[in-house]
Amino acid sequence: MLLYLVWLLPLVGGVGLWAFGPQLKSWAGPIGSALVGVSFIATLFLWRDATAARALDVPLGSWLPGWSFGLLLDRLSLIWTLIITGVGFLIHVYSIGYMDRDRAFARFFAYMNFFVFAMLTLVLSDNVIGLLVGWGLVGLASYFLIGFWFYKPTAVAAARKAFVMNVVGDIGIMFAIFLIVAKLGGIGYGLIFANVGSAFTPHELFLVCLGLFIGCAAKSAQIPLHSWLPDAMEGPTPVSALIHAATMVTAGVYLVARFAPLWSASPDAQELVGAIGALTAIAGAILGCAQWDIKRILAYSTMSQIGYMIMGVGIGAYDAGVFHFLTHAFFKAQLFLGAGIIIHALADEQDVRRMGGLRKQMPFAFAAMLVGVLAISGVPGLSGFFSKDAVVYGALQTGHPWLYAVAVVTAGITAYYMFRLLFVTFFGAYRGAVDPSDLGIRHPELAGTAASPGHHPEEEEPHPHAPGWLMSAPVAILIVPTIAIGWLDFGSNSAWKQFFAGFFPRAADAAGAAPISEAVSTLLVLLAVAIGFAVAYARYGAPAALRGAIARLRTETIRMPGVLVNAYYFDAAFEALLVRPARALGGWFDRTVDPHVIDAGVREAAISAQWLGHLFRSFQTGLVRAYALTLAFGVACIVAYYALAFGGGR
Amino acid sequence: MNVAPENYVALSAVLFFIGVVGVIARRNPLIMLMSIELLFNAANLALVTYARAWVNNAGHIFAFLVITVAAAEAAIGLAIVAVTFRKEPFVDVDEVSALRG
Amino acid sequence: MIAFWILALLMIASAVFTVTARRPVHSVVGLLVNFIALAATYLTLQAEFLAVMQIVVYSGAILILFVFVIALLSSGVRPFDVGPDRMPRILVPAVVFAVLTLAGITVTALHTPVTVLQTTPTNGTTGDAGAFGSVANFGVALFADNLLAFEVTAFILMVAVIGVVLIAGDEGPGGVVRRRPKRVIKREPILKARPPSPELVEGSG
Repeated sequence: MLLYLVWLLPLVGGVGLWAFGPQLKSWAGPIGSALVGVSFIATLFLWRDATAARALDVPLGSWLPGWSFGLLLDRLSLIWTLIITGVGFLIHVYSIGYMDRDRAFARFFAYMNFFVFAMLTLVLSDNVIGLLVGWGLVGLASYFLIGFWFYKPTAVAAARKAFVMNVVGDIGIMFAIFLIVAKLGGIGYGLIFANVGSAFTPHELFLVCLGLFIGCAAKSAQIPLHSWLPDAMEGPTPVSALIHAATMVTAGVYLVARFAPLWSASPDAQELVGAIGALTAIAGAILGCAQWDIKRILAYSTMSQIGYMIMGVGIGAYDAGVFHFLTHAFFKAQLFLGAGIIIHALADEQDVRRMGGLRKQMPFAFAAMLVGVLAISGVPGLSGFFSKDAVVYGALQTGHPWLYAVAVVTAGITAYYMFRLLFVTFFGAYRGAVDPSDLGIRHPELAGTAASPGHHPEEEEPHPHAPGWLMSAPVAILIVPTIAIGWLDFGSNSAWKQFFAGFFPRAADAAGAAPISEAVSTLLVLLAVAIGFAVAYARYGAPAALRGAIARLRTETIRMPGVLVNAYYFDAAFEALLVRPARALGGWFDRTVDPHVIDAGVREAAISAQWLGHLFRSFQTGLVRAYALTLAFGVACIVAYYALAFGGGR
Repeated sequence: MNVAPENYVALSAVLFFIGVVGVIARRNPLIMLMSIELLFNAANLALVTYARAWVNNAGHIFAFLVITVAAAEAAIGLAIVAVTFRKEPFVDVDEVSALRG
Repeated sequence: MIAFWILALLMIASAVFTVTARRPVHSVVGLLVNFIALAATYLTLQAEFLAVMQIVVYSGAILILFVFVIALLSSGVRPFDVGPDRMPRILVPAVVFAVLTLAGITVTALHTPVTVLQTTPTNGTTGDAGAFGSVANFGVALFADNLLAFEVTAFILMVAVIGVVLIAGDEGPGGVVRRRPKRVIKREPILKARPPSPELVEGSG
């Protein structure tokens, strides 16, 4: 029963705030936050039930035989539910401060609550149909929130792009679900996992996994369906923190982990997912080095980190991937909320080239970002170190040396661009007053710096200021798990490994023992991180670099390779391969098929009807006797029939 | 009763024939209506004949219903004639051609 | 036997007279003769109740209605003007169809002879209470076996009454559904209301 509460409270909030927002006024924020908070606390009370031998499975109802719907809270969905409601609650509270001057305050919280509900539907469902419903609702909520400032054309375009790409993923998942239902006739997870080996041929299993992974790739921003994520930064920063860092984009990780028995039975699919994850990780990291918008840097780092997670769960290191999700949820929320403090203070300035030297004015934001950067870079002792190490070493354990190499290199690049972000933003001198063209910014209004009209009024003080307690408290709370949560997975028999002991299928030890021990692997990762840090320090953090920062940023902006600025031309390729042909086809239909086939058909039908009307009109003489004659003719016909049928026969 | 039913039916057919010709050939709506009454009666005669032939009074019931409907039809037809005549002083169905398409 | 042939001749002659008469009043007289002869024919067919109904309904009600309408239409206006014949040659196809019908019915009837007619009904002779065609016999059939048809007929009659009232009512514009004026511009004084016109037909249903 408590699980119903966990699941439905955010829905109540979403509908209620949407319906009564204008009456609630500034109460909308606290109410929405409180609902999510209660949901979180209720989840905590369910901890014991979820971790019992038989996981908590609450039936909702059934439809066809074998099609019963229910809520499932086991160890995996417990982790996700806690993150969604817990981090979600902190971000809600933060939003009260961040969105304080927005006109659509209540609408924002309605959408946020609706998003939490959608995500909980996805995670708590005990069958594939419920999963698909949640999957679609999450995409819808994401559309609402990215396009929250719908008066910005860029936001609308980004929302549309995200939605369309997510629908591509939905189609993949639907395909997989159709295949599952066609083979098994049921939708429950238990039924599916019990029949993995017997019901599917390896080929079918691969197709199912492929369909599921298309959904994953769309939702979790994996190549080649990743390009919506950086654009999604058009939404308010708390949205970016909640959706595009902590929860929604990790739905793909959840999906792979949830269907672990399927993946483990299909080695081909595992190889594919692992490779795509690693590719995304390094591609996102490289792109992160080329961005100037603080939120886009974080977006690409998100993409890269999710690549890690997908690689982890893809190659069979499920608990490592899920653990990286857990730590990432904290430190990425931390980073986004810290960035949000800066953006809020600088009146929606998001370009790091126009920041600099904020360490002294905003010590709290600096501390928050510093902890986040250290954690994401994998500095020992912080959470990211443990989880990333587990994922990286997992690649080696399951016999994927190439993926391992890519992961190690990516760790170095991650350290580089995160410290680059830190140095450019917080060190040196404040460059907010410098002419943008001196920094190489050609079109300031197009460089992601456009202030949202109506959000912050013009008279907003442009100089940095300290955040309110509503914004700083969640960040301060997040610092604790960002630092400490990693110790859950310390050692070979850690609490985390015990938590998931026996939950996931065992990874295939095809390659036998790893060629190097975990300690050596850790040292390798640390070496890569150190190199990344060193390069970042030399280029942006050293005293000499800080003195010539303006000129350096200018040359770097101008000389940035086009392939990076344009994100490997993925969008251009989509434009050329899909959008333009579709437009051309539409134009052809508009010019040729519509006028000459459809319109002509309608016209010809009308003309035919008119002609028939003329024909029948000639019978309508208006002379009653002619009608009578026609009747007589009919009578004669009937009588003639009877005469011929019965009269002549005898 | 020693007349074969064929004779009654033939009589009915002859009456029907006269009625049909009357409806089509005459232009006076009153006489047309009367011809229609002739048609009804011819049909009734056939019904009653067969009812007698098979000793089944369903034919009687049917004839009774026909009489009822004929009464309704006559009332409505005459009302139309009266109203039409009130508008223009012709009693000629050829002149009433508002139904022409 | 002889009665049938006399009646048959009488009916055919009166029918022909009805159709060919120049004046509707003459037609009515011919129709009256036809109806009475038909009623007598019903008696020979042991349909005594129907014979009575034939006299009462047709001769008593419908024909009187015809007479009323003729009287109304011919009072005060020109007697039945006839316009130009729009369909002068209609008689040819009409006769052709009618002959076809006649021939068809006759052929059908002659080729399907019914022999049962020769036997007398088992439940008594004509005129007995409860015999075939008597009032009791008819009533049982009508109110027990065919009650639904009876009720439907009643409904049709009611609809006919309403229709007649609508069509021939005070301002009925000749079969067209009356439309109320959209706006009342001015209200006439009640005392100056138009007197009913002389040719007004009231209660013709």
